[in-house]
Amino acid sequence: MKIERSSEWQEGFISRVNHLEKWHSWSLYKMNYDIVKMKLIPDFTGLQATNYLPNLKPLAHQLDAAETVIERMNGKAILADEVGLGKTIEAGLILKEYLLRGLVKRALILAPASLINQWIEELNIKFHIPAIAYKKNCPIERYDVLIMSMDTAKKSPHRERIYEQDYDMIIIDEAHKLKNNKTQIYEFVQGLKKKFCLLLTATPIQNDVFELYYLISLLKPGHLGNYDTFQSAFSASKHHLEHNDYLKELVNQVMVRNRREDTGIEWTNRCVQIVPITFTAEEREVYDMIGSLENTGSFALITLQKEMCSSKEATALTLTNMLDEHGQSQEIEAILAKLMTLEVNSKAEKALEIVEQAKDKVIIFTEYRATQIYLQWYLHSKGITSVLFNGKFNKSKRDYMKHLFKERAQVLIATEAGGEGINLQFCHHVINYDLPWNPMKLEQRIGRVHRLGQEHDVHIYNLAIENTIEEKILALLHTKIDVFEKVVGDLDAILTNFKESV
Amino acid sequence: MYPQQVHQYLKGFFAENECPIIGEENHSLTVQLTVDIDKRIMNRPFYWQYVEATNSEPNPAQVTFITDQTAMAGNLFGEVIHYGSPRLNQLFHATGELGAYVQLFEKVDHAMGQVILTPWLGVNFKVSYCCDRTKEMLYSFGINLLTGVIKEDFHESIYASDFDTVPADNVFHVQYIIKPVRALERLNAAVESIIEQDDHTWAMEAQKRWQRDQRVLDYFYEDVEDKPECYEIERKALEEQYESKIKIDIINGGLFYLF
Repeated sequence: MKIERSSEWQEGFISRVNHLEKWHSWSLYKMNYDIVKMKLIPDFTGLQATNYLPNLKPLAHQLDAAETVIERMNGKAILADEVGLGKTIEAGLILKEYLLRGLVKRALILAPASLINQWIEELNIKFHIPAIAYKKNCPIERYDVLIMSMDTAKKSPHRERIYEQDYDMIIIDEAHKLKNNKTQIYEFVQGLKKKFCLLLTATPIQNDVFELYYLISLLKPGHLGNYDTFQSAFSASKHHLEHNDYLKELVNQVMVRNRREDTGIEWTNRCVQIVPITFTAEEREVYDMIGSLENTGSFALITLQKEMCSSKEATALTLTNMLDEHGQSQEIEAILAKLMTLEVNSKAEKALEIVEQAKDKVIIFTEYRATQIYLQWYLHSKGITSVLFNGKFNKSKRDYMKHLFKERAQVLIATEAGGEGINLQFCHHVINYDLPWNPMKLEQRIGRVHRLGQEHDVHIYNLAIENTIEEKILALLHTKIDVFEKVVGDLDAILTNFKESV
Repeated sequence: MYPQQVHQYLKGFFAENECPIIGEENHSLTVQLTVDIDKRIMNRPFYWQYVEATNSEPNPAQVTFITDQTAMAGNLFGEVIHYGSPRLNQLFHATGELGAYVQLFEKVDHAMGQVILTPWLGVNFKVSYCCDRTKEMLYSFGINLLTGVIKEDFHESIYASDFDTVPADNVFHVQYIIKPVRALERLNAAVESIIEQDDHTWAMEAQKRWQRDQRVLDYFYEDVEDKPECYEIERKALEEQYESKIKIDIINGGLFYLF
């Protein structure tokens, strides 16, 4: 076996025997010995990190997760706790443990740009890990723990600079961004050396089981076989698979997933319901006209139908753009004319009803900017104050909007991009005004309010218009949730409290 | 390390390094650093570069350390220091550098008249077993520089003794016969022999984990004729992760003239 020893001490000793340097004091000599003895790592197992973090009070499931990753998964794992259970704390504990044990000298953390400051703060303040944010021209070879955004890391010349470094540990936050193996970021991460590696995501499957396959193949290539053997072993297709018990077991060898109900913490209830809405006869007429549009691609048609379920403003915007692009079309103009005569938005009325009944703070999520603005106007006309929120806001604007919502307004209207990275535990009602295709987006949205620190039951309203594309979206969401539960494990309610078998 | 222990440690460290303690409360300590200690623990190389380049008057820092924040009443301005904090780690590091080598003569009661002291080389070793996990052990050895006899737990045996840094009038210290460098070689060999006789199941298990992961990786690239670069990167990562090795560090040591 390899034995490493350094001759440094010997050289200093010889020079003192030869009277070239001063001897040290007996007291400092004894203090030095005592410190080394105190800091000694007495066993291969067990966490040392907690001894050094007197101000951090990790929860039991976070300590368990850290131990499991180090002792059973050998430091390569997907941390897939449900939203709001403290995946960052778990990652911090694991990194700290490896730093203390001398197994990691340098670490790289990739996170969405909006979460970088949060990471810096948590690691420096809670864990005393001197983490530094990447900046252009900064001397990264001198930084031991570097945090940067995925979007920066994957591009030249940053990409090459990172590849030149030698990191012992790679941590990737919001790792579901790596679900597609054809993307630049996937290739970038594939090319990184992953001695120890943590992938953090509450949603390892968003749409189909292949996303999880790609994630695991990044972490431990071969664990689920290669693509062909994986596909044939589990007869996997987008929304179908077999032998899921066996697959689940394989997945659990590399994934830690704590659920709210396993944490031993008293969680408030999550009351989820689907709120069915019926179009007015006029709205139905326009919806049907859109459905019979000719010479329109199926994707554009679906978009229009979804928009019609949202607001006439969103629909009109797309239709007008189509006119601009393709020139005159009597068909489209007829729809636009009919659209403009609509006076009632059934869905907005329902949303208003919920807001009024709640008599409390409410978040409304919509997929369309036009709907967002319309809703603000509509609520304002009914005497309800609201603020807008979208993911493109920088950190200070986000914080300001959050502040306004907390102190001044009853409603926050957010577009999809507003889903990650804000915590709004003071609010207990969420309206999903439009349904996304991806169930995990719903989970991320709900996670903004249903997280550690929430003291009230939270109410989730999923609005869906009967006999429209939204019913199909609902069915597909059920199918996708079913695949997730078969492979990853149970999910907290996101569509409805009543399980539906598919 | 409890706040009270941190407090005692700081007092001891600064006293030994000639940094006067200007003020002390139960849970705080104000100290005037010397130039040397400032350089070692305050993290400001640019300031010291500037002072040296411009030949200006050095102004080492005066610091208030708060050793127990929870017990502090009032609003004292200072730096909170606790076990695990970066500053304390710097102090530990400085202690390591400033407490590495000693030459000491045991104090003997004058009533005993003239006595003869025997030379010993004492060395404290830290041995680390590393793979994807770690375990550390301390070994303390002393070797009699006249007879070559090796004693285990040497540090514990002299821990409570009092020493002088120069021989007192009433002692006569014998010169060593075995050269310290040769003696050090013998102690190194003693540590290695202990390691050899130890149980190394840990290394076998790491080897098994390594082989298992290597098989999984090979399976992934089984049908690929020209292995891509990422295969090589992954293979290297597994090697770094699981390869077992043993590190031997010397914490400190020195020449002890014992009664």
